[in-house]
Amino acid sequence: MLSENLKWYFPSSLPQAVKLIQKPGIILHAGGTRILKTQSKNIIGLVDISNLKLNYIKSKTNSFHIGAAITFNELIKYSKENNCLKMLAAALSQAASTPLRNRITIGGSLKDFPLWSNLYAPLIALNAMMEIKGNKSGIYSVEEYVSEGMIKSKHIIKEIILPRKEEFAWKVMRFALLKFEYPLFNIAISLKLNGKMIDDSRLVITGVRNRFKRFKKAEKFLIGKNLSLNLLNEIEKFVEPKFVSDYKYSSSYKETIAKVYFKDLLSEIIKENL
Amino acid sequence: MFKYIKKPIEKIDGLALVTGNEKYTDDFYFENMLHISILHSGYAHAKIEDIDDSTALRMPGVVDVLSYKNVKQILYTTAGQGYPEPSPYDTVLFGNVMRFVGDNVCAVAAETKEIADSALKKIKVKYKRLKPILHFEESENSKIIIHKDDGAFPKIPVYYDASKNLAAKVEAEVGNFEEAFQNSENKIEQTFFTQYASHCALEPHAAVSYIDTRGRLVIISTTQVPFHVRRIVSHIAEIPISKIRVIKPRIGGGFGGKQEVLLEPIVALVTWKTKRPAKLVYSRKEVFKSSRTRHEYRTIFKVGFQKDGKINAMHLDALENSGAYGSHALTVLSNAGSKTLPLLNKIENLKFTGKGVYTNLPCGGAYRGYGATEAYFGFGQVVDMVCEASGNDIIEYYKKWAIKSGETSPIFKALGEGKEGVAMTVTSTSLNECLEVGARESGWYEKKKLYGVNSTLNKNNRYKRGIGMADLMQGSAIPEIDMASAYIKMNDDGSFNLNVGATDLGTGSDTILAQIASEVLDTPVDKFIVTSSDTDFTPFDTGAYASSTTYLSGQAVLKCAKQIKEQILKVGAEMLGVSLDEVDILDSNVVVKPSSNNENKGEVSYQDICSYSFYQNNQFQIQAAVSHVSPKSPPPFAVHFVEIEVDTFTGIIKVLNYVATVDCGTPINTTLAEGQAEGAIVNGISYALFENYYFSNHGKMLNDTFGKYGMYTAADIPPIKVHLIDSYEETGPFGAKSISEININGALPAIANAFYNATGKRLYKAPFSPEYVLKILKSNP
Amino acid sequence: MKISFNINNQNRELELNPNQTLLTVLRNNGFTEVKCGCNEGECGACLVLLDDKAVNSCQVLAMSVQNKKIKTVKGIGTLHNPNLIQKIFAGTGADQCGFCSPGMIVASYSLLKENSSPSDSEILEGLDGNLCRCTGYIKIIEAVRRSSSVLLKNNVEAE
Repeated sequence: MLSENLKWYFPSSLPQAVKLIQKPGIILHAGGTRILKTQSKNIIGLVDISNLKLNYIKSKTNSFHIGAAITFNELIKYSKENNCLKMLAAALSQAASTPLRNRITIGGSLKDFPLWSNLYAPLIALNAMMEIKGNKSGIYSVEEYVSEGMIKSKHIIKEIILPRKEEFAWKVMRFALLKFEYPLFNIAISLKLNGKMIDDSRLVITGVRNRFKRFKKAEKFLIGKNLSLNLLNEIEKFVEPKFVSDYKYSSSYKETIAKVYFKDLLSEIIKENL
Repeated sequence: MFKYIKKPIEKIDGLALVTGNEKYTDDFYFENMLHISILHSGYAHAKIEDIDDSTALRMPGVVDVLSYKNVKQILYTTAGQGYPEPSPYDTVLFGNVMRFVGDNVCAVAAETKEIADSALKKIKVKYKRLKPILHFEESENSKIIIHKDDGAFPKIPVYYDASKNLAAKVEAEVGNFEEAFQNSENKIEQTFFTQYASHCALEPHAAVSYIDTRGRLVIISTTQVPFHVRRIVSHIAEIPISKIRVIKPRIGGGFGGKQEVLLEPIVALVTWKTKRPAKLVYSRKEVFKSSRTRHEYRTIFKVGFQKDGKINAMHLDALENSGAYGSHALTVLSNAGSKTLPLLNKIENLKFTGKGVYTNLPCGGAYRGYGATEAYFGFGQVVDMVCEASGNDIIEYYKKWAIKSGETSPIFKALGEGKEGVAMTVTSTSLNECLEVGARESGWYEKKKLYGVNSTLNKNNRYKRGIGMADLMQGSAIPEIDMASAYIKMNDDGSFNLNVGATDLGTGSDTILAQIASEVLDTPVDKFIVTSSDTDFTPFDTGAYASSTTYLSGQAVLKCAKQIKEQILKVGAEMLGVSLDEVDILDSNVVVKPSSNNENKGEVSYQDICSYSFYQNNQFQIQAAVSHVSPKSPPPFAVHFVEIEVDTFTGIIKVLNYVATVDCGTPINTTLAEGQAEGAIVNGISYALFENYYFSNHGKMLNDTFGKYGMYTAADIPPIKVHLIDSYEETGPFGAKSISEININGALPAIANAFYNATGKRLYKAPFSPEYVLKILKSNP
Repeated sequence: MKISFNINNQNRELELNPNQTLLTVLRNNGFTEVKCGCNEGECGACLVLLDDKAVNSCQVLAMSVQNKKIKTVKGIGTLHNPNLIQKIFAGTGADQCGFCSPGMIVASYSLLKENSSPSDSEILEGLDGNLCRCTGYIKIIEAVRRSSSVLLKNNVEAE
């Protein structure tokens, strides 16, 4: 249960907000869904980000800048209207439910990284960057942000930055049996193609041990290869996701089907581009 | 031809519901109201050695703590059933032995819900942990006794043995099973398992109570059984029935989950003691863990049959996990036999054996389907196995062997609810037509040819398709036990008050009962002001369970309306100056029959008739009160067809299409009847594929939220088509039987049969989770 | 403390604690048409429109939406002046127990206001945050389809 004496702050500038969250027990409030899920009584103050003007999507010459306060549905709508950011929008539209997507923000979801996040896999596959303010201010890749354990430091996510060009083939998927169910894992694949040749590749899964995994050996194997369904058999040995068993599924079952879906998605990409 | 029956009439509370105008239990707020929170046991089995509530009681705003220390230890059953209940008296409101994770330790009453919740954390409980029984197959021979020396006893003379952890035992035999089985040319012996489930009514359980202006206790509750609530609260709280009024407002779904008296005695005790209003609302987690569930089952079918498919002998042995208390243990068990075995009534040697065992897991209770769901899983598959083995088309097989109009089954008499059953002859069935229409609409014969293990479509294909079916029956009310009554009075504008004890829990029964009265009195549905389920103002009704409301309460309304009609005709004839046999009713008037010589005497309106009876001559109130008990429980029938696709790489079963043909007699309200069937089918499919309780090694439920439990959203449902195929049941109102439960029973066997059709393998354990399916696919046949 | 909101087009000062959700605050202040089915953002019975977008009011801390426009099912239509969608829901049998109905109406209204001719898959997506155990969704989907076709026929937007 959240404390009855909870203090609310509504700063109007990033530096103000950064200063506020330095105190123990004071955290950021964006959509609020995660705060309500954890219901931690150790929270003594909430710094609401709604006056920080972070709800923007800016299209620049080489990149998109997505403010941390943008909700999942705002991004999906922008994607539809401007015919861009399709991979990210496709992944986010599978997340949670319509009313929750109206509330969950990009920044909040990044800060949290719940096991079932639909956000991380596509961002890592897209080699997205992000700007943070506060401790360790700067621009980092999303992958760096997770791996370096920066999540826990006291900072505010300002925006994520995505390359403007979307000349790559991609697939995303969320594994859950039902529309409204926590997914077991999320997969995102992006392949940069030069004709039939694979110039670059990213294969990402989240929901595994250590939160996420990039199959770098598989990525390396694919680079320089020509698209062909034969690649599917060869790549299998490089895709070895490791899971933890839960009450519903054993780790070995999860590993089996994650592999199946990796191959399915790759084969779809190959077939579409052959 | 009917005027108000068999019509898609809008629910009388429809607009009020969709505008948020109707009130549910939690919507009642009273001045000075206390809020109650419950501390539930975190242990599956433990003895409370002491409770220290002194810190909690010192907290500002905390008013009272109820525990075994200050609550009288009165045994009862939470099952809201007819009295004396067939469920054992093995429960006390707050005892000192905790028998499952979620059992009641104590209750805190405080000025706000927040204070009550915080106070729970300040209560120190000293437990002595006891070894639990967490697997129901190990219960009967366990050294651990769950109800030891607690005085638990059966209220009716039935087998009960707490020393063996047996909450119930049922046995019945017709003919000589063993001999016939041994002499059969072919034999099948197969074990099946079905799992726990939560009702998932969207409205959580809630109760509010207050003292009225004359010092009586009023309870507003989310109950399917208001009259049982009044009786049971009286028993536990030791308050005379005359001092208790129970009101059921709108209810947000029940499905059996609210046929339990769980919260009402707690608010009653708090209010009676403090003389202040009190409210208790379960959280969703509490609904999952602490309320009631579908029983877990193991069924073993033994079938002996001839090469041509004729079954000589069938034995159904059921083992039921009752959980910590025996609520509905006996009756769900007997229904597992009595709702399945009569379907193939020509089997001469039938045997049913069943045991309900205690465990330290959540309690079972009433759940839509009530034993039939659990047993049809195996029943529907063994019939398919017999047909496959003997080369019979299953549609033709059911046509030949299923019970028909004019026929009976000895099981009806052999298996009752805590006593001998009631012999009856089936007099209404459209089962053959259900089979034919269903086969046609589902494309049964074409798809049977197209699919199959060795079909070109399926062979060597990752995705395999199959079609399967199941034939079902249920009952309508409990014969010679359930009673319903209705009261109608006429008002001076020609409207009527229809007061019924029957409980509309979202089913639309208020509307359906008004339609029945409308039809009898030939006056529009909106002329009826329906009041239901208020123990002060409506006559007795056992409640909304056992598929009884339309059939039983409906017949009470029909009989009552007929008496009103007689009175109206009498006054009308008097006003018109003609004899009684010359008049009839027509469109809210009494008219002279065309056959009469006095036809020119015209007509009198209902309005004038009532006004006359109030003020003119021979004054009296046109009114009637009627009770009804049914001599039988006519079964509704249904046939379900399902087409599936199995992903043999992942084990995921996708339902492609679902067709159900349903014989509920006359559907009083076609929209509501379809709605009952559709809702039950979707619940049946999600039960077959996903729903389950997952427990930790200590018996704690792990998936206690909707998101983890897994419920279908609109985006998950397959195409489903329901066809209502009428029959006419003489003992029901305008030919009606029941429809609420039966359609939850089909998905398990039909999907499993479709799986066999697709893969040549069988699923014996529900739910058909992809990991289990994959395991089966990889196993040797 | 007292905080102001605009609820169903009326400015209201509501008593609340800073840790309370919008759902709790609304219900404690008499807006009991907003239902609580799970309090975890998973059932949709508590949906309201927040600045015209459907949100789970149990997943919104009230303090974070002060001065904002909130619409409950009663702001969409009332018993005496129901919205077209509400009339069609009642007429289609999309309401059984009615407990999910306020949320379903909010979701459907929000969907149709944004897009008066949704495809079937858009309807399903628009309702993906609302659970119902009674109907099996069939008549609810049908009611949204019918509402859409009536709106299109009359060439009007959902109001």
